[in-house]
Amino acid sequence: MNYLDIANSSFVFMVCGIVIAAVLIICCVFLAWAWRRGLELGMTREVMVRTIKTSMTFSIAPSIPIIIALTAMVGVLGIPFPWLRLSIIGSFQYELMTAQIGATSMGISTLGGSGYTAQVFSNSMWIMSLGIIWGMLFSILFLKRFSSGLINAQKKDSTRIAIIITALYFGMLSVFVGPPVVSGGIQLYTLAVSALLMVTITQLTRRNESAGDYAFTLSMVGGMVFAALWANLI
Amino acid sequence: MKPTNSMSIHVIGRIACIVALILIVMIPLSICLKFDIFPPMKNFLGGFFQAVMIYLPISIAEFLTFVPILGSGAYLAFITGNLTNLKIPCAAVAMENAQVKPATDEGEVIAILAVASSSIMTIIIILIGMLLIIPLSPLLNHVYLRPAFDNVLPALFGALGAYFFMKQWILAISPLVCSILFAFIIINFTGIQFTSIQGALIPVLGLISVLAGLAFYKKGLITGDDMK
Repeated sequence: MNYLDIANSSFVFMVCGIVIAAVLIICCVFLAWAWRRGLELGMTREVMVRTIKTSMTFSIAPSIPIIIALTAMVGVLGIPFPWLRLSIIGSFQYELMTAQIGATSMGISTLGGSGYTAQVFSNSMWIMSLGIIWGMLFSILFLKRFSSGLINAQKKDSTRIAIIITALYFGMLSVFVGPPVVSGGIQLYTLAVSALLMVTITQLTRRNESAGDYAFTLSMVGGMVFAALWANLI
Repeated sequence: MKPTNSMSIHVIGRIACIVALILIVMIPLSICLKFDIFPPMKNFLGGFFQAVMIYLPISIAEFLTFVPILGSGAYLAFITGNLTNLKIPCAAVAMENAQVKPATDEGEVIAILAVASSSIMTIIIILIGMLLIIPLSPLLNHVYLRPAFDNVLPALFGALGAYFFMKQWILAISPLVCSILFAFIIINFTGIQFTSIQGALIPVLGLISVLAGLAFYKKGLITGDDMK
């Protein structure tokens, strides 16, 4: 039996579908908890509804490249397993690399190439599944103590903790800004256009809080539209 | 303020992570049982340890970097994945819009709402993508549209970077300068693909950024008012 017959079988679709459905339920449980907790803390429904709406809108554009990654993965790993990995848990930067480790550890150099049997496919699945579990494992073991410690430290010296958290976030953002600046070309122009749009929209919507909610999404989509125009027209 | 009428988020988070871990193991296990395709243990362990060597250090650094930003929202973020390109920016923007701070009760509520709704949206979009993969594939890879999707990250981080630079340029300057310097050296002199070490650079730049921020704070260049 060809490994893709197994990878695309209705059984694999079913188990992957069940897991995605379970994670959707988990998302709803968290959403309901946060909603109730927000009300307990005296937060308004309006603020929480706005958060949900803008987070959903914000997530549309960055989700499209994940579908492109899916189209790249289905040829070698079938449809359902990449669908699962990219919908939850995984991240498209890591998945193909981990699948490749699964192949090479079985002595096969290319994913989906000759010798990539059902057993090699299963090795890729196991390594993709178990190789990237650490975030969840650490959360079970250490998250409570770590986040409670932060909240307590925040109460003692809120400025210091605010600086640490903001600085960590800026550190993460910067990793993605350096390469386009150095590489130049379309990446740099896209970065500059979306930055410029963000500055402009922020200035224009300074007095209108809810209009400002969509500033990030508009700037991001504006940058993407620019990239398409630049690549095809110039 | 302690939760009054709801279960602790840490109990829910731990149960959710345990359930997710069990389900993740169940997938290859059930497929291997059904089709009798277990890999040899020796080969599996060889590949597994190789993956651990790569992802364990990255995961430790991600945990230390992302938990302060997301608080208990990190439980769900680690289950649903796509942290740097989706969940973290989404939660940070949501907290900014709601004018709440991370590591506070309100910040945690907003972060969880953002991560949960972002995850639901992504799952729905990928489901549609999966169902329509045959007609969508040529469209998404079309020569006119592909550059837009290839440049999502510069577009996303351009907007985020500009906003936070406007707000707190003094904190943003050190990691930005270091990132450009690192990228210049890596791209021009090492031959290493930058994207392959991006995960490892996040904690490095995070540390530089924190040390610089605290030094500015100590010297009085950043005050409590700047962080409000």
